[in-house]
Amino acid sequence: MNSKITGDTIISTKNISKTFSRDIKALEKVSLEVKQKEVVVIIGPSGSGKSTLLRCLNGLEEIDEGSITIDNTPLDGHHHNRLKIRTEVGMVFQNFNLFPHMTVGDNIRIGPRHVRKQNQAEADQITDELLKKVGIYDKIDAYPRQLSGGQQQRVAIARALAMNPLIMLFDEPTSALDPEMVGEVLEVMKDLAHEGMTMLVVTHEMGFAREVGDRIIFMDEGKIVEENSIDDFFDNPEEKRSKQFLSKILHNGGC
Amino acid sequence: MKSNNKRKLKKADFIILGLAAVLVIYIVYRIKVTIRYEWAWEILPKYIFRFDDKLGRWVSAAIFSGFIMTIKLSIWGIILGTAIGIVMGILRVHTELFGRVISRVYVDLIRNIPPLVLVFIFYFFFSSQILDNLGLEELVKASGPVIQSILTVIFIKPSLFNEFLSAVLSIALYEGAYITEIVRAGIESIPKGQWEAGHAIGLSRYRQFRHIILPQALRNVLPPLSGQFISTIKDSAIVSVISVPELSFQGMQVMASTYASFETWIVITGLYFILTFSCAAFFGRLLQRLKAAD
Ligand SMILES: Nc1ncnc2c1ncn2[C@@H]1O[C@H](COP(=O)(O)OP(=O)(O)OP(=O)(O)O)[C@@H](O)[C@H]1O
Ligand SMILES: [Mg+2]
Repeated sequence: MNSKITGDTIISTKNISKTFSRDIKALEKVSLEVKQKEVVVIIGPSGSGKSTLLRCLNGLEEIDEGSITIDNTPLDGHHHNRLKIRTEVGMVFQNFNLFPHMTVGDNIRIGPRHVRKQNQAEADQITDELLKKVGIYDKIDAYPRQLSGGQQQRVAIARALAMNPLIMLFDEPTSALDPEMVGEVLEVMKDLAHEGMTMLVVTHEMGFAREVGDRIIFMDEGKIVEENSIDDFFDNPEEKRSKQFLSKILHNGGC
Repeated sequence: MKSNNKRKLKKADFIILGLAAVLVIYIVYRIKVTIRYEWAWEILPKYIFRFDDKLGRWVSAAIFSGFIMTIKLSIWGIILGTAIGIVMGILRVHTELFGRVISRVYVDLIRNIPPLVLVFIFYFFFSSQILDNLGLEELVKASGPVIQSILTVIFIKPSLFNEFLSAVLSIALYEGAYITEIVRAGIESIPKGQWEAGHAIGLSRYRQFRHIILPQALRNVLPPLSGQFISTIKDSAIVSVISVPELSFQGMQVMASTYASFETWIVITGLYFILTFSCAAFFGRLLQRLKAAD
């Protein structure tokens, strides 16, 4: 494990379950602890519940059972708690989900302006800083459709960061990208990891996992099948299902 | 490229134009030779504008006042109908079951009643039972001359207040049902990921709607909405059955006293066309502007 991890638990889920209609058990008694500054990589076959897990953590899906605590705040029925967690947990989607009718700058400003209630100057400053950080400051007045996929995903990361979150969730952030753009997005994510952001990343980018991941979680059929250090998982997986899955994705050269 | 394609007349266009010309010639021939219709255009102008000797100036006569009345009915109908449609459309996609049911019942009810019946229901029930008890007409009649003349300009003269109100309300409710469906479809056309992205940065449900969904939905609903507005102008003719002096009603009156039926209806049709065409042109422009801004 990495020495940067201080030891304070920032995400804790206890036995969370989520069932969709027609008895689809997307999550079944998932318990998970994530410490501050940890980078946790989540992998698993399609339909194993990876996205659902992330979506439950910021309240996009309601859990049926169990409990979620983030930064000592329970994700319960209290509106105040839910809002606090939403603003502290940033999320990056596979399809970017940028707001197409707003410029890149406005996409980023909207959170600070309307949720953080910052004034125009403060929001502008954050927007400028973040766009420089993700390397597309020159596109501040462009519209999302004028950008490449990699650029759009970097804007989406900047948009989430503008809320100054404690935790960032990434749901397959590079799977919708052309191969030549994957690297630029992973670079931004690696920088974030090095700065000590707590991250949960659903990805099959093994290079990324090995380089900055602290821990890997393998999910199948709504359950956590194996939780291991990155190196041990790849070189010496404990579970049979992990082995099968690994051999599959390694043969196909990643998903 | 594009304009080239548009401008060039193809073979099929010539055939259609030819057929249209034949049709026109045939109609003119029937009117002139078979019916031996006596055109009397000269009696119509005084029903459009006439010179008032007492006032010493030109005032609008039946047809032109009908034209103005149709504009007023359409504008109020569109404003109210759009307001109803937006509220009901939002209720329809709302998370609360109660709101969804109300909106659903409203739309199904209105769409399954003939509009003519709706107008009568409003006039005979709503107007006579509710409006009369509210005493609105008395209130208007009792108000001072300044208020009365303002009301006359934006609505109608006090003696026809109830008829006008029933007319506007039935038009608005009728069109509102269709606008509800347009609004609902517009909101649902925005991918779920847009709401979710708003949720993820902490925007309230209201702000997700107001800043993310609404502006995008508005663009999608503009074309069908403009079509509905044009329908409203045409549909407004239906309130002639409760004697609101709008364009069609006035047309019937003029025809009854002049017997110049062809002339009258040609003029009336032309006037409706001016309204619908301007409405279409306005929205066409607006859409082009929005496209150009992209
Ligand atoms: N909104 C929903 N309604 C019904 N079923 C759903 C919904 N969302 C997810 N599911 C189901 O829940 C299960 C888990 O889905 P989830 O999207 O979490 O899987 P995943 O691991 O992210 O898969 P992928 O790798 O394909 O993204 C699947 O069987 C899926 O069909
Ligand atoms: Mg997924």
